[in-house]
This record gives sequence, C-alpha cells and structure tokens, in this order.
Amino acid sequence: MLRSFTHSHASLLNSTLSFSRRTIIFRAGYTTGINKDNVKNELESPEELARKSQLTSQPIDYSNNAPVNPKKKRPLLSDSKYESQAYQLPKWKEALGEMVIRIFNLDMDKVRAGPIAGSYYYALCKEQGLQFENEPLSETAKFFYEDLKLPRTFSQWFQITVLHEWILFVRMRAMPFKYGKNYQQKLVDRTFSDIELRLFEEMNVNSGRIADQYLKDFNSQLRGAVFAYDEGFYTDDATLAGAIWRNLFGGRKNIDVVHLEAMVRYVRSQLYVLSKLSDREFALGKFKFVPPDEVVYKLSPSQEAVMKKAVIEKYEAMDRNPDILPSEKSKLSYKN
Amino acid sequence: MSSTAVREAAVQLVKTLQKFPQERIKHLVSFRDSQLERFKPIAGLETTGTDSTKKPTLSDIKDIINRTSGPLGLQKDLLKKVQEALPQEQFTAQTIEEQNKSLNNIMSNKYKTYYDVGNKLYEPQGNPLYYKRLLDEIEGKTKETFFTALRTVVFGK
Repeated sequence: MLRSFTHSHASLLNSTLSFSRRTIIFRAGYTTGINKDNVKNELESPEELARKSQLTSQPIDYSNNAPVNPKKKRPLLSDSKYESQAYQLPKWKEALGEMVIRIFNLDMDKVRAGPIAGSYYYALCKEQGLQFENEPLSETAKFFYEDLKLPRTFSQWFQITVLHEWILFVRMRAMPFKYGKNYQQKLVDRTFSDIELRLFEEMNVNSGRIADQYLKDFNSQLRGAVFAYDEGFYTDDATLAGAIWRNLFGGRKNIDVVHLEAMVRYVRSQLYVLSKLSDREFALGKFKFVPPDEVVYKLSPSQEAVMKKAVIEKYEAMDRNPDILPSEKSKLSYKN
Repeated sequence: MSSTAVREAAVQLVKTLQKFPQERIKHLVSFRDSQLERFKPIAGLETTGTDSTKKPTLSDIKDIINRTSGPLGLQKDLLKKVQEALPQEQFTAQTIEEQNKSLNNIMSNKYKTYYDVGNKLYEPQGNPLYYKRLLDEIEGKTKETFFTALRTVVFGK
C-alpha cells in the first residue's frame, strides 16, 4: 500500500540487513549463506520463535471487549487529496512550491518532518497492528493477534502503534536536536489527531467529552510506555521484557514467556537496523519495519563498510548535482 | 507426562524467576511477582507468607496514583480483573522448560548483546545525556532540581 512512498532505492540498508528465508535479497550482492555463518546461535524470526511455543493457554477474555467494526472505514491517512496515493500534484503547483522554497530559503529538513514523520512514519506504525473485525489480518497483524494471542481491540492497536512509534523515537533522538524533536512532535500530533477521528468515525463514540477522556487516557499510556521502554532499552532485556509485558501484553498473568522473548527480539532487531541508518536516510523516510517473519542478521564489519560507502556515494552525488531541486536538499549527515 | 516431571520443571522455573531483577520503581503489577504466584503452586511451593502477596502500603498506592494523571479507574479495574482471573492452565514438563529457557535468554541479555546498537543510540547526538538522566532519576542517584526541570521545559533537554 505504501510502496510508492518508499523510493525505488528501497533503502539499501533494509534490504541488506533483513534477510528472510522466503526472499533472499540478491540486489545487495549478499546471500543469506554468508550471513548465516556469522551467527552460531539459532536463527529464527520472532514469528517462528513465537510459534514454537507449545503452551496452549488462552488469554483471559476481557469482558469489555469492544471490537473494531466500523460502518465506514477511514482512509489510512486522511481524506485530503494530497495524501492519497493516486494524486499527482500539477506541474505549476510543484514549480511554485520549489520557487517558494528557494526564495525564502526554507529549511527543508524542518519542513520534511510533516510529510515524513507525520505522514509516512505514522502510517507505518499505524499499519502494523491495524485490524477490523470480520476482516482478514495483514501479515504483521497476524503475528500480533494470532501468534501472540493479543486481543483484537482498539486499545491493543494503540499499544502496538505506540511500541513502533517509540522505536522510531529512539532513532529520532539521535538526529540533531532541533530536527529530531520536530520529527517526534509531528508523529505524536498526527497520532492523536488520527485517534480522535477514529474514535468518532470507527468506534462510534458520540460524545466529545468521552472522546476527550479516552484521548487523555491514551496520552498517559503513551508517556508511561515511552518511559518504561526507554528504561528497558538503556538497561537490560529483563527490564525491557517487563515493560513490554506491562504495556503490550496488558500485564496479563498467563503470559507465554516465549512470546515475550520473541517481542524482545523483535524490538531489539528493529533498533539495530535503525542504528545502522544514517540521519539523512532516516529523515528522508527510507526506513521500513522488518516484518516479524524475517530474521535480522548482524552485519559483518566489511558488509557494513560496503553499505556505508554506497550510501555516501549516493548522497555525495546527489549533493553535488547542480540540478537538484530545492525541495530535495538536506543538510543532515549521511555519514553516521 | 508424569506430574513429578512437571513439578521439577516448575521448581527450576521458580528458581529462575526468583533471580529475575526487581523493578526499579513500583508499578501496579510486577512481572516477577505475578509469575511466581502463577508457578509456585505448580512447583508445590506455597505462595503465602512471601513478599509477592504482601499488600501494597498506603504510601505505595498514593505514589502510584500521583504518578499517573489520566483517568486511572478503568485501567486499574481491568488490571485487577486480569490478575484475579486465575486461568486453568495445563502444563507439561516441556512447556515449562520452554518458558524457563526463554526466561533465561531474556535474563542473560542475549538480544541486547547480539543486536548492539552502540553509543549512536545510547548517547544520542541530539540529547546525549537523555538516558543517563532518566536512569539516575529512577535510581535516585541525582535528583532533578527546579532549575534542571525548568531547563528541560524551556530548551527541551
């Protein structure tokens, strides 16, 4: 659905880092065989790990289970034509935009926070756990709702979204402060404006007061989750597992620890991929979450060097190009 | 599956769980305690008289409520319900051993070590002291003063 956002380059990084057994990526010039030698311990994706568990306990049935069953679904991002896939900006508007950027010397890294963090990255996070009752689940949603046996509710979707947003926050903090903060802000703003609309239109909440209460509740959940995940990320896997258990799994008692381990693996592997992306690539939206059925292998130093070199060459050529459009300019580093 | 095999596996799991690090700050529910409560009966160990069943003190409850500003009522009820509903679970020695193995993987920091992100993310360029300050505050090493808090509000870091 979102493929058209990700440029044909399709993030060299993502493709070199995530080798799945289904799709061996030859584009990058590596084969899985090489990478498999790097890893002595078992090679399994979070999904395979979770499926291996023999524990049959069913999660407790929540009595206030409210399925997501809207009469009319909202578009993934918004009703605005500018965010629809099919829309093509007329050439004169494009030219006018470029002229405005050039004349006022707009800081594109700042402007880009809206379309990249507020639109593209939010859509990525939103899609991961998006589900509607009586509709087949997407591949990633299957991992969360079928393999991990999470309840198919709106608030569970929110928790999955928050987890993915936090993963992006961690990378955004490593950007120059001014830009990183802006990216974070845009992502959060978009989350809450979207949730508000979803509550009214898809969850059939009719009262503004009740919707506000939900939003406040979601806000405190977001802050609590980000704090707990931050603590876990910086300290150890046990703390991270605790944070995931409290937030994503709702602190349920009959948790399957194998599932918890799969989630810790999932989170850490996404962060690893992000740590290998340069600021420039991340800010331009060249990141996609590695699907749970794929394995992230560590890069060897030589592979990393090859990858970095390719990235540097690409962006150096881009910066040197005199015909580059004002809107494509960026001052963010592509070397880190 | 003989019941002794199940019990022995559960004893091992309980031993691992007891080594699970305590949380740095108190939350409404604790992973370690809830799992101990879940597996101790299977291991044939008694749960009463341990710290896991100790009721939170008034100051604990006040502390938790003060830290949470949202409408807590619903979520707290829900959590309580989840905690109270004791599921009827059928364990085999194999499933318990799986749980134990996963728990050991988590506690040995397997994934943090394998997927090492380095200082690029642990000391992020935009805010290098972010995690250090957070952890110092949690552990009580340094207290945020009025001025450091004001600085964070005004400058964002």
